[in-house]
Amino acid sequence: MKVKVDKTLVASIALHVLVLGWGLVTFSSRAFVPAEESLPIDIISTDQLAQMMSGQKTGDKKEPKPKVEKIAEAKPEEDAVGKVTEKKELIKTNSTPEPPPKPVEKPVEKKPEPPKPVAEAKPKEEPKPPEKKPDPAKEDPIAELQKKLETKKPPPKPPEQKVAAVQPQQVPKPKERSFDPAQIQRDLDKRAATRHELAGSTLNASASLGSTSGTAANNIATWRGAFQGAVKRCFTPTYNGQDADQYEADIDIPMKIDGSLASEPIVVAVRGPSRSIAQAVAESARRAIVQCQVYSFMPKQQYESWKLIPMTFGLKDML
Amino acid sequence: MNRRRFMTLTGSTLAMLGGGQAFAQQPQGRLRIDPTEFRPIPIAITNFVPGSPADGDVGNGVTQVITNNLKRSGLFAPVDQAAFIERISNIDVAPQFENWKTLNAQALVTGRMTRQPDGRLKAEFRLWDVVTGQQLAGQQYFTSPEYWRRIAHIISDQIYEKLTGEKGYFDSRVVFVDETGPKERRVKRLAMMDQDGANVRYLTRGSDLVLTPRFSPNSQEITYMEFGQGDPKVYLFNIETGQREIVGNFPGMTFAPRFSPDGQRVIMSLQQGGNSNLFVMDLRSRSTTRLTDTPAIDTSPSYSPDGARICFESDRGGRSQIYVMAAGGGAAQRISFSKDDNNATYSTPVWSPRGDYIAFTRQGGGQFSIGVMKPDGSGERLLTSGYHNEGPTFSPNGRVLMFFRDPGGSGGPSLFSVDISGRNELKVPTPGFASDPAWSPLLSSTSG
Repeated sequence: MKVKVDKTLVASIALHVLVLGWGLVTFSSRAFVPAEESLPIDIISTDQLAQMMSGQKTGDKKEPKPKVEKIAEAKPEEDAVGKVTEKKELIKTNSTPEPPPKPVEKPVEKKPEPPKPVAEAKPKEEPKPPEKKPDPAKEDPIAELQKKLETKKPPPKPPEQKVAAVQPQQVPKPKERSFDPAQIQRDLDKRAATRHELAGSTLNASASLGSTSGTAANNIATWRGAFQGAVKRCFTPTYNGQDADQYEADIDIPMKIDGSLASEPIVVAVRGPSRSIAQAVAESARRAIVQCQVYSFMPKQQYESWKLIPMTFGLKDML
Repeated sequence: MNRRRFMTLTGSTLAMLGGGQAFAQQPQGRLRIDPTEFRPIPIAITNFVPGSPADGDVGNGVTQVITNNLKRSGLFAPVDQAAFIERISNIDVAPQFENWKTLNAQALVTGRMTRQPDGRLKAEFRLWDVVTGQQLAGQQYFTSPEYWRRIAHIISDQIYEKLTGEKGYFDSRVVFVDETGPKERRVKRLAMMDQDGANVRYLTRGSDLVLTPRFSPNSQEITYMEFGQGDPKVYLFNIETGQREIVGNFPGMTFAPRFSPDGQRVIMSLQQGGNSNLFVMDLRSRSTTRLTDTPAIDTSPSYSPDGARICFESDRGGRSQIYVMAAGGGAAQRISFSKDDNNATYSTPVWSPRGDYIAFTRQGGGQFSIGVMKPDGSGERLLTSGYHNEGPTFSPNGRVLMFFRDPGGSGGPSLFSVDISGRNELKVPTPGFASDPAWSPLLSSTSG
């Protein structure tokens, strides 16, 4: 018995199977793509930003500039990993390894005796290291600085007693130095490697007073946000009626440079349908300003911009 | 993937840049603070110094009532006395404010209770601004010893007004229906108490069922509905004399009465057949005026504070909704429209004494809710929801709502209060079950 097969039916089935199969393979593979993890982004408030950008009173007072310069130079020296280890060995053998990275401090601190021998040695070093391009360039300023030390012997140090106390620890290093052209070359190598290490660790580890040339301290929004946040913490208005958004109190706040109030906050104007409620809002704001002082985080170098702080206290978000 | 991350980062960055730009737009302008979070004012309330050893209890009692009032208001956070550093022994000497600043108190209350030679009590108090060291208020009152609680309420109102700018509501009363006995044979009596639940007085004996009591503006009279022998009628009850009288002489049932703001009229519903309409009766001339004439149930009328408009509930649209119209009648405008439930119904509207809100009971989704909306119907806000909440009444300053809640089952209803923002829901103490509360106006003026 022969079964008649409709060719069109077969073709149709085959076509459907093909299409469905293609669809299953194509779309199912996309469906199994693992869900993408969302990228967590923290939204920080202005006062949090201020906290992050401000320095610490107890921070290290070293100038951050040298560190930045050294990082820039260290980048190309990826091959110098071996040199770093070599230099470490040198450091062990040599009693005066660290002086290079702290040239700026030393000249200021060490004005009297020790620098002389070093200054004598460096002019002799100049002809030898010409092979290494970056090092001589760095060496020159050091030598110059040390020369300056000689000329700066006389300067008095009246108030810097702390600095004087720190000096003795650094003085012995130059004393142990002796002129050795080979060692100078190692020192130069070591200097580059040391910079590389210093740059990596110091920037992250040491506290900072904040950059004087950066934009953080100049950012008016920083102290404005911080001040708003501080006053807001103490502001406890009690009105939340339907017309709360119509109540406002303008208050001028005279400030001292230490962040305390120079005088009582001045209620300039109050607005709202009920004068008694508006007055209560102003009084509540005044209490908040007084209670939350001293605003010691205010940047002193920006004092002129916050000597008198005009504020408006409103209730538009109370409901 | 990368695109999504890019979009996320871009969005965040743009948002931050936008914020920064907004900040930068007014660097020289006024800094602005709009707190979003409500926090009560920390206040220290010291025990009132007794003029003699015999006055110690009443002094402590006054302190306790003031503390309780302010705490229950939700606007104040009384500092625990155990934390006090300084003991006030002479209220005529300025306190050491540093001792109170340490406790973070913003205000300090000191006082003295002294019994006078004529037997009266002299109550003195001072309210201090701890932060600035200024005296904000200082008053003295004389009263009979039995009214010491009222003095405490008046002082509470003074403190409230000085620190919030609004009138207080502590020196006020609440009339309600006291319910006792098993559910099937519940005895309902008219009762009156201070707003904090103290000094309960029963005004009727419970022989007849009473409902919907309302205070007159002078707090001397109460109007309510009583199921007597015939049809239920609206009555007037004089609190001082205990006398009562029927309001009007209508052929059908009268119910849901309420005084006009001037106390000269009573507005109520009168049932005629299957319908009920609103009528107002002048209490002096006893003349009545029909306000609505519809084949529907119009009831629960309430005047606006200026007496120019009334809100009421009506099922003229098919379901019970809230309408507003002129006090003299005329076209009514529906103001209640549920956004999320087309089957929701609104009832028992009450106009706030401040005029800014109309409170209501909303039934929908199997729950009864208490809420407020503006008189134009906008800004609807539900304050509390549950199995059965009903009958809101405003405090004299329009800041707090009281209502009754029935949990169902074999229990009975209780009174609760809640701030108009929905915070600070508290149970109001009553001797037994209680329903249908109505808040009186402020009994005394606290200005000055």
